[in-house]
Order: sequence, then structure tokens, then C-alpha cells
Amino acid sequence: MAQYTKGIAGIWTDEHLILKAARKTREAGFTKFEAISAYPVHGMEEACGIKRSWIPYVTFTAGFVGMILGLLLTWWTSAVDWAVNVGGKPFFSLPAFIPVIFELTILFAALCSVGALFYACKIPRIDPPNIDPDLSCHKFAIFIPFNDVGYDESKIEKMFKEMGATEVKKTEY
Amino acid sequence: MGEHNHVNLHVSKFEAPAKLKTLSFALIAIGLLTFVVGLMKNQERLWTSYLVAFFFFSAMGVSGLFWIAINNVSKAGWSVSIRRYAEATTAFIPGILVGGLILLVGFKHLYPWANAETVAGNAVIAAKTGYLNTGFFVVRLFIFAVGCMLFKYVMVGNSLKQDQTGDANLTNKNVSPAVGFLVFFALAFSFFSVDLLMSLLPTWYSTIFGIYTFSGMFQAGMAFLAIVVVLMKRHGYVKGYVTEEHQHDVVKYLKGFSIFWAYIAFSQFMLIWYANLPEETEYYIMRAQGGWMGVSMALLIFRFVVPFLALLPRGAKRNDNHVLLVSALVLVMQYVDIYWMVYPNFFDGHVTFGFWEIGIFAGFAGIFLLTIMSFWSKHSLVPLKDPRLHEAINHHVAY
Repeated sequence: MAQYTKGIAGIWTDEHLILKAARKTREAGFTKFEAISAYPVHGMEEACGIKRSWIPYVTFTAGFVGMILGLLLTWWTSAVDWAVNVGGKPFFSLPAFIPVIFELTILFAALCSVGALFYACKIPRIDPPNIDPDLSCHKFAIFIPFNDVGYDESKIEKMFKEMGATEVKKTEY
Repeated sequence: MGEHNHVNLHVSKFEAPAKLKTLSFALIAIGLLTFVVGLMKNQERLWTSYLVAFFFFSAMGVSGLFWIAINNVSKAGWSVSIRRYAEATTAFIPGILVGGLILLVGFKHLYPWANAETVAGNAVIAAKTGYLNTGFFVVRLFIFAVGCMLFKYVMVGNSLKQDQTGDANLTNKNVSPAVGFLVFFALAFSFFSVDLLMSLLPTWYSTIFGIYTFSGMFQAGMAFLAIVVVLMKRHGYVKGYVTEEHQHDVVKYLKGFSIFWAYIAFSQFMLIWYANLPEETEYYIMRAQGGWMGVSMALLIFRFVVPFLALLPRGAKRNDNHVLLVSALVLVMQYVDIYWMVYPNFFDGHVTFGFWEIGIFAGFAGIFLLTIMSFWSKHSLVPLKDPRLHEAINHHVAY
């Protein structure tokens, strides 16, 4: 069971306000904060200063590995281990193997991407702390963990309120 | 949303650069000269090169209309500010009718089924004369050309009318014709390519042929659109309305349809190769012998492998020169693809390329350039009254 971090969360009901708030939180020097929303908010990656994901590199590498494995599989089974003459075609007939190679490329790329996504998002999180049930609906939150640079509860509370937060609470995430 | 800077929005009036105009006229002159000399000296060569260039530019013309239609049907907002770039290619569509009529002058040099002696001597072709006969061929060509003109008249016409009246409802009115066009186009473009390209070898058939030419047509259309987006951005005609976000998505189209082309091309090849039926394999046997094997491989590598890998990274889609280079390569390969479908049927199967092909292509290119430049100089480069324009201005491609 993952350890949840104590911290402080501000809650907003307006998409535009939280976007500005996220930007200001980053500009205030916080680096470990999270923005929580029920759906993707355009421009949030920039506002939070999130860098590009590393998952595409996993996808590409896994796809490449799948391609090589598919090639080896078809070559080994059709041309080496149990060579069967099909319609007088050569044992190693690349056109016939392409579908297999393609499928394995996609299979590896897709499964590894999902695996990497689970790892990156720390899924599954069983019974995580609930900051506010409405975060899955019409509310947005910014959570700053206690171990972030310059963590000061009263200052953060004041900052969140200034940025239009409807509610500020000490919580876990 | 609400995050972007709206200060630098600017559209200039497009004026065709004088050099480009002179170049277009020069190209047309070269084309006319080649055509006239060809009529007198080398009819077969003239009509084969004419067919390739005609098909290439007809496909370019309808690619813009198809793209507009799918954006209308999906009610896309991001693409509104670059719609005029695609609409410009449709200005060439009347050229399909004119070019088709000119093709009818020489089509007896191209199509074996149009030759009574060939038909009489070949039972397979004779059995197909119910479809492959001059009258029906002309009717189908006419339906394709006039149909595309009508749909262009309605869809592009509504878009231009909106510039004047500002009536937001015109956007909704464009949905039904777009749906109609997609259905019409799926059929008509298939017939168009079956008639013009597949029937060059009337004993051969491939049921996926229409999709094959469609995939090439759309990939090339997106390559052209990407080039226009980059050049318009670079020369500052449109500021703020068209950004690298739009470029990114157009290049995504280009990359996606590079994959689609490979998928369709391989589907056509693999089934024929695997089944190994004599009446189907002749097409690929012709293209696997002599110099044609090299052209076939070049198609695979430069039409799919290179564009796919070159456009894979995010940064590549936002790099102007890189996009120009890959798009130009795709356009060249579109020509090679059509050339590869036409030429093995002629000249004893030898790879034949020379000034005839270049000359005729130049003529078409000149007309194409002139039509799109005159379209842009007559109309605003951005449909400023479109109700979805704000979506395009705020368009943002997530990571």
C-alpha cells in the first residue's frame, strides 16, 4: 500500500481560475504540486510546468522489440524448426510474415504503454484519500505536499484564497 | 483556453508573388509546347505522361474538397483557420472536366479496350465491354467531374458567402452536402481510378484499387496542405490564426495517411501474392521485372518508411524545413506512384522517363499554381466570420 503524503489542497469551481492558480503556484516556486481535475484542462501541462511524458519512448522501444521478436518467431517456426512448403513459396517469405510482425509490434507497444502508464500514475491506488468527492465532477483542486520547497501552511492558504479558491483544507493525497 | 494571447491576430491580403506568377506562366508554356510537339511526334508518350499528370492534379484538386467535407461532417473547429488553404485546391476542380475532355482525344492510345481489334482478339476483354466501352467511360468521367464541381460550388460557395453575410447558419448548412459528397466521392473516385488507371490493363482487377488511389490522393493532399501552412506562416500572411499547433495536426494527418497508404498498398499486394492467381499476379510481375523492381521498392521506402520515421517525433512536426522536405518527398512519391501504375503497361515494360513527362507535368503544375493563387487573391485567407473560428485560434495540441 502506497504511502499517501500529507499536504494542503485548494479547491476551485472555475476552470479558468485553476489554470491561473496552477501557473502562479508554479511561479511561487512549488515543484511537487498536483492539479486535480475530472477532465483534461487545456493548457494545464504548461501551467503546471509538466515536461513531456517518457511513455512514448517506452512505446517505441517496445514496438521495436516486438517487431524483432515477430521476425525471429516467424523465421524460426517457418524456415528453421518446422519448415513446411506452402504453395511452393520460399520458406522465408517475408510478405506472409508481415501481418504477424505487425501484430506483435502493436501488441508489445500497446501493452508496454499501458504498463508504463500504470507505473507512471501509480495505478492501482486502492482507497486513496478523498480530498473532495466533487473533484470527479465540477470542482478542481491544487494539492501541495508538505515536503515541497517553501511549504508554509498559512502562506499557502492565503495564496490559494487570493487566487480564488473556494475552500482550503489540510489533507492527504 | 483563456491562456492564449489574442493580441497578434492579423490577416493580410494575399497577392500572388510576381515571380511565382511568371513561373506559372512559364510552366504552362512549357506544358503547351510539350503537348503540341507530342501531338505531332510521339502520341503514345504524350498521352501516358498526360494521364499521369492529369490524375495527379485531379487528385490534388479533390483532396482539398474531401478534407473540407470530413471537417464539415465532424464539425471540427481547429481546422477552420486553415480551411481556405484546402479550399484553394478545389479551384482546380473545373480543370478535371476540361482535362478529361482533352484526355478523350487521346484515350484510344491508352486503353486497349477502346481498340476494337484488341477486344475482338481477347475473350476476357470482350466479356467486359458492358462496362469498358467508350460511351459509359465518358459518362462516368463526366459524372465524376461535374459531381465534384457541384459539391465544390455548394460547400466552398457557402463558406465564401459566409465571409460576406456573416450568417453563422451557413456552417450548419454545409453539413448535409458534406455527407452527400463523402458518399458520392467514395463511389465516384473509385470509378475514376478504376477507369483511368486500372483499365489500362483490362485483364487485371483488384477490388481494393479505389482505396489504394484514395490513400495516395489524401496523403499527397495533406503533404500539399502542410507545405501551404508552413509557407503562409513563414511569409507572414496570417498571424495568430494559423500557428504551429495547426501545422502539427496537419502533419499528423500526413503521417497517419502515410501509414494508411502502406496498409492499403500491402493489403493489395499481400493478397495477390499469397493467392497467386495468374489473372491477378500479372500486375505485380510487370512491376517486379527490370527497372520496375527498383521503383516498387522506392515506393515502399520513400512513400512509407522514410515519411513515417521522419514524422514520428513531436519536434519533427513543428520543424518548418523538416516538414517542407518530407512533404515534398511525399508529393514526388505520389507522382512516382501514379507513374508506377501507368507506365509498366507501355513501352515494352521498360522504365521510361524524360522531358515528355516533365513537360506535361510542368504545364499542369502551372495551371494548378495559377488557380490556387487566384483563389487566394480573390478571397480572405481566413474565414473570419466562421462561428467556430475561436476554436481554431485557441487550438492547442496536448503533449
